[in-house]
Amino acid sequence: MSTTTLSKGQALAFAAPAFIAILPFLAACVYILRFSLSAEQGVIEGFSIRAYQDLMTPFFGRSVWLTLKLAFIATVVVMFMAVPLAFLLTSLRGSFARRLLTVTILLPLILNLLVQAYGWILLLGPSGALNTVLKSLGLIERPLFLLFNETGVLLGLIQTSLPLAVFPIVSAVRGISNEHLEVASSLGASNWRILRDVSLPLLRPALVGAASIVFAFNASAFAIPLLLGGRRVQMMGVAIRDMISPLFNWSGAAAAGMILILLTLFVLVVSAWLVRVTTVKTKG
Amino acid sequence: MSETHLTIEGVSKSFGDVRALSNIDLKVDRGAFVCLLGPSGCGKTTLLRIIAGFEQATSGKLLLDGADITDLAPHKRGFGMVFQSLALFPHMSVAENIAYGLKLRKASRVEQKDRVEELLNVIELPHIADRPVSALSGGQRQRVAIARALAIQPKLFLLDEPLSALDAKLRDNMQIELRRLQQSFGVTTVLVTHDQTEAMMLADELVVLSDGVIQQAAPPSQVYQSPVNPFVADFIGSANILPAVSTSQSTLGLLGVDTGVSVEHAPGSTLQAAVRSEAISLRKVESGGTGIVSFARDLGPVTEWLVQAEGHEIRVRGASSAVSPTVGDQVSLQFDQDRISVFAS
Repeated sequence: MSTTTLSKGQALAFAAPAFIAILPFLAACVYILRFSLSAEQGVIEGFSIRAYQDLMTPFFGRSVWLTLKLAFIATVVVMFMAVPLAFLLTSLRGSFARRLLTVTILLPLILNLLVQAYGWILLLGPSGALNTVLKSLGLIERPLFLLFNETGVLLGLIQTSLPLAVFPIVSAVRGISNEHLEVASSLGASNWRILRDVSLPLLRPALVGAASIVFAFNASAFAIPLLLGGRRVQMMGVAIRDMISPLFNWSGAAAAGMILILLTLFVLVVSAWLVRVTTVKTKG
Repeated sequence: MSETHLTIEGVSKSFGDVRALSNIDLKVDRGAFVCLLGPSGCGKTTLLRIIAGFEQATSGKLLLDGADITDLAPHKRGFGMVFQSLALFPHMSVAENIAYGLKLRKASRVEQKDRVEELLNVIELPHIADRPVSALSGGQRQRVAIARALAIQPKLFLLDEPLSALDAKLRDNMQIELRRLQQSFGVTTVLVTHDQTEAMMLADELVVLSDGVIQQAAPPSQVYQSPVNPFVADFIGSANILPAVSTSQSTLGLLGVDTGVSVEHAPGSTLQAAVRSEAISLRKVESGGTGIVSFARDLGPVTEWLVQAEGHEIRVRGASSAVSPTVGDQVSLQFDQDRISVFAS
């Protein structure tokens, strides 16, 4: 059954601008793939897998591991924050309160990343607001180091990617029929049981979708790790930039970029597959 | 005699400034099948939702077996609920849907399996346990939703327009099925519907609501034959509501005809009478008739006429016959005395 009133031809015609925007991007991906297989570091010449071989170092391995770890932790934390926020947002009756919360959650998307990062620096830096307060309360003697390490990057990733998760979940929560929840309640389910047995399973596709977006966004993050992690937190985005900018190793950067894309795709495909397998199982 | 199971005492409900229910008093006998009937917006669904615990009454009390359950959370009431949308859990199989309430009651796996099997037999769908609910037909889903509610051996069985989404033929079958299940489980049942035929067919007790007030609560035949006001008379089986007077002999005068029905109202007082279409018979006359037939249609076993009399359009239904009046005929009207309801105007 077609859910749209457009014929396939019409839909294609209307999608043409999108294709025009997407095609150069695909071309760029092909270009990077080609560059990663170049025998030379600075120009495309000949075929070789040397760029990939050169990446097989403990340094790059740590970078991959760090990227996956931080993206994963940030995704888990974001999901735990986004689900309650989505429920809160859908339960708010007053339109003022709802709008206020919506804008608050949206703010990271509206605000320039640089401004947000400097905000974190002002807040978390050695002489920042948090350390000043903790010191004046006598809770700490020396400032806590919350910046230019993994903690700072993690905080930044969580904060910037939260809105990406909240809004898809909100629309899915709105889509859950009240009667499903009421039937469960009449059968004896407490609110917690309803959440566990009905709401979350019904939300599962949206949760997986939201988590995928957040993970991909965080795995490819560049500005936040650079600004809040400095050179000390070498997530792949930062490592790739360093290969280009001081080192002029274009083929190496291209190879690292390909690895990042493939790893992210692999994680998304595996998670989608896991969801499908477990869903089939519950349908028994 | 029968014992009271559910008592509703002075329940009112307001949504902001809108009064949905006013001072509802109702007693439901154990094992009875009660239908809440009324036009949309009459408050019937709100009353059911208050019974289920999904809405809180603004004032008034609910008693179950004499115990106050007004403030009891819905999940602690143990009432089975069926919605019009059915609300089967799409992420569970048929068996998991039916067993869900038992699982919450920590029944063992064996118990759950036995009970699911038993219920699937009762609803005559023994082989669908492992199917996803998306693979079921409309009628099957209906039965599964009922089985899920009955699986917990509910103290009350509550249904909100459960059959409205089905096509006419399936609805007929499901009404019979529902009545059969209700009787075999002996469960006290409250069903909300706007369909008076469905209500007449299912109910032991019919509760007619309008504007948040109970108009009449009685067995269906009594509601049909002795409606307490013109609203009920019209809503249940659409009666002709006609202006009438009390004659000097204290009998009911209707459209200039002395019906011979004695009334208690003082001679000369203006009244209203409700007369069912099948309680009127027509006789073709050459002249001096009460009205003129403006429409006639032969429905097979019966014929329906519209008669224009004294500025009113009167609906008449009777056995078809060769001498039936046809359009344009002058007719005199005769009223079945036992089947006229009289109300003060």
